[in-house]
Amino acid sequence: MKFRLFAALGAVALCMTLAAPSLPVSADANTIVFGSPVSLTGALTKEGHLTQEGYNFWKDYINAHGGLKIGGKTYKVDIKYYDDESKNNTAQDLAERLIDQDHVNFILGPYGSGTSFTVAQLVERKKMPMVEGNGAAEKIFSQGFRYTFGVLSPAKRYLEGILDMARHQKPAAQTVAITAASDAFSQEVAQGAAAYAVAHGMTVVYNNKYPDTATDVSSIISALKATNPDVILNAGHLQDALLVQKGLKEQNVQAKAYGYSVGPDTPDFASSLGRDANDVFGGAQWSDAVKYKADRPGFYSTAQEYAKAFIAAYHHRPDYHNAESTAACLAFQYALENAGTLDPEKVRDALSKLDVTTFYGILKFDSRGLNVYKPMVVNQIQNGRLVTVWPQFTADAKPKYPTPPWGQR
Amino acid sequence: MHLLAQDLVNGILAGGILAVVALGFSLVWGIMNIINLAHGAFIMLGAYITYELFTVVHIDPFLSLPISFGLMFGLGYLIQRYLINWVARAPILTTFLLTFGLSLLVVNIALIVWTSDTRGVTTSYSGANFTLGTVTVPWAKLFTLIAALAITGVMQLWLVRSKTGRAIRATAMDVGAAQLSGVRVAHIFAIVFGLGAGLAGVAGTLISLSYALNPSMGDPFLIKAFVVCVLGGLGSVQGALIGGLAYGIIEAFATQLDVTIGTQHISGSGLQDAIALIVLLIVLMVRPRGIMGRATA
Repeated sequence: MKFRLFAALGAVALCMTLAAPSLPVSADANTIVFGSPVSLTGALTKEGHLTQEGYNFWKDYINAHGGLKIGGKTYKVDIKYYDDESKNNTAQDLAERLIDQDHVNFILGPYGSGTSFTVAQLVERKKMPMVEGNGAAEKIFSQGFRYTFGVLSPAKRYLEGILDMARHQKPAAQTVAITAASDAFSQEVAQGAAAYAVAHGMTVVYNNKYPDTATDVSSIISALKATNPDVILNAGHLQDALLVQKGLKEQNVQAKAYGYSVGPDTPDFASSLGRDANDVFGGAQWSDAVKYKADRPGFYSTAQEYAKAFIAAYHHRPDYHNAESTAACLAFQYALENAGTLDPEKVRDALSKLDVTTFYGILKFDSRGLNVYKPMVVNQIQNGRLVTVWPQFTADAKPKYPTPPWGQR
Repeated sequence: MHLLAQDLVNGILAGGILAVVALGFSLVWGIMNIINLAHGAFIMLGAYITYELFTVVHIDPFLSLPISFGLMFGLGYLIQRYLINWVARAPILTTFLLTFGLSLLVVNIALIVWTSDTRGVTTSYSGANFTLGTVTVPWAKLFTLIAALAITGVMQLWLVRSKTGRAIRATAMDVGAAQLSGVRVAHIFAIVFGLGAGLAGVAGTLISLSYALNPSMGDPFLIKAFVVCVLGGLGSVQGALIGGLAYGIIEAFATQLDVTIGTQHISGSGLQDAIALIVLLIVLMVRPRGIMGRATA
């Protein structure tokens, strides 16, 4: 009998995880409901949670400050999430469910270029405006979509800053090796970096990719080591960044600079690697050292104020995933205020004309819906702490270059 | 030329881990005819057990091997005895669904307990290496390979020599005949599933040294386990070992395979998975029961 109970409990628990309850959103007339499929499990779990924090931080601020004033009426905001399991097709299905069954007002983007792309296709069909802060691949913005807006700098620019920094140091970097995951975002990052290197007189001595599901990259590291590069760049995500950094040490690969598109900015990079994370560079959309001043009221006006409040709420420094997710919400906030209505078509038009400066930088979209107006920054982990080192006008520390040998970091 | 030698070493080192990853999966599939989709989740649990022991009690990952084996064996035994046993004779789709649900459950519990933060087990000897001619060998991975070989060796000996091992093999051959000879099949099944989980735990421990931890970390390993055990042959210890090493070496060499056809540049490393699967297809066409598998009646 006892066993029967145990099994029954197991079965109930299983059903609970298998079938997430689909309660209708309390869409009363005074609440604007945003919907977002986001990676709460799967390969991009960590980044997905950072995205969700960025969204929730904005939501809590707005609701605590009385809500949004749109066309003379005040609205509370709410966000309905589903877990897309880091899968592109699942994200699209869930976005459809958010629009058709949950009747959300607007879509906030998922995490990642793959999921953002499939959801962008859907919102285009549904004529539903989406602002996303986590899909930087230009593939999303080269389809002529009218309803998708991205607040981030394009993927191609992610690693440019690191190369720019390295060629202005002494001794100047001359050769570059690039490893990249095979997804669209990472490939664009790698292509952008390679093009930039060539355009600025550097030689790309190695450029290769690995599958997104790679669990071992040691053979890529071996091949890269044989080319003896000055700068080693990785275009990928947190898990592969850790795999590459560990692999470089295992095979004793010594370069003047090590740069990652995603990784060093996430606190997990330093906490996972300890001292081996030191002196690594990361391309970032934002850091809490940037010196922008918002030109509109309604939210924290500087990166420093944002960071302080964020730490109080989530007990960790906001990284750029948090900030760009919050910035996506801000784009909606100001576009809604400008439009003065919740009508999707008018909000879309307001988004396309948006031009504001926020704690995150400028929010303005080109004709493709991409924010090409905001520069990237370069961060470096120095003695376990993330500092901004490039471009110089926004830096709070000098780059440590060249990188000392393994064991002396 | 020295790259080829280095790749061979890289492949063998990676293959050793894959052998342990596949071993438990292969035993459960071969003996009980259950494709355990929770295997990846069990690997993840093993890695977290090691992580906790390493960060909280400062036990070296290699010393935590028996602990993660023991804990995961216990968990696996209980899950089989009181959950999967209910549907043990059901069609394969039922156990498929059940273990899939189990996997979701375990991963989601792990998300609550450990959050989605990515963590790493970085030991004092992490990244330490020695050079042999032109080939660099990381110590941690070498020890991992030795541990993997030792584990497969012990498993094989135990299955062949011990009374329980013989009962397991008898059950795999013919459940009815084993039962008639006095083998407690339910108990044997639970032991096999426990072994599968225990070996997954051990694999998780070994993986944690090189691969970062998060609740979804088991997914790619589940797929690899599947390929390795079909490649090597179901339900056999040697099969998992040979399959794992073959897979590791194929992947390593695939990395250096760069082909340019016309203007199209094809990078072998981007196609590691595809190349490994093509080899699998070829093996299945030539030897449908896998490299080490035996034909069944």
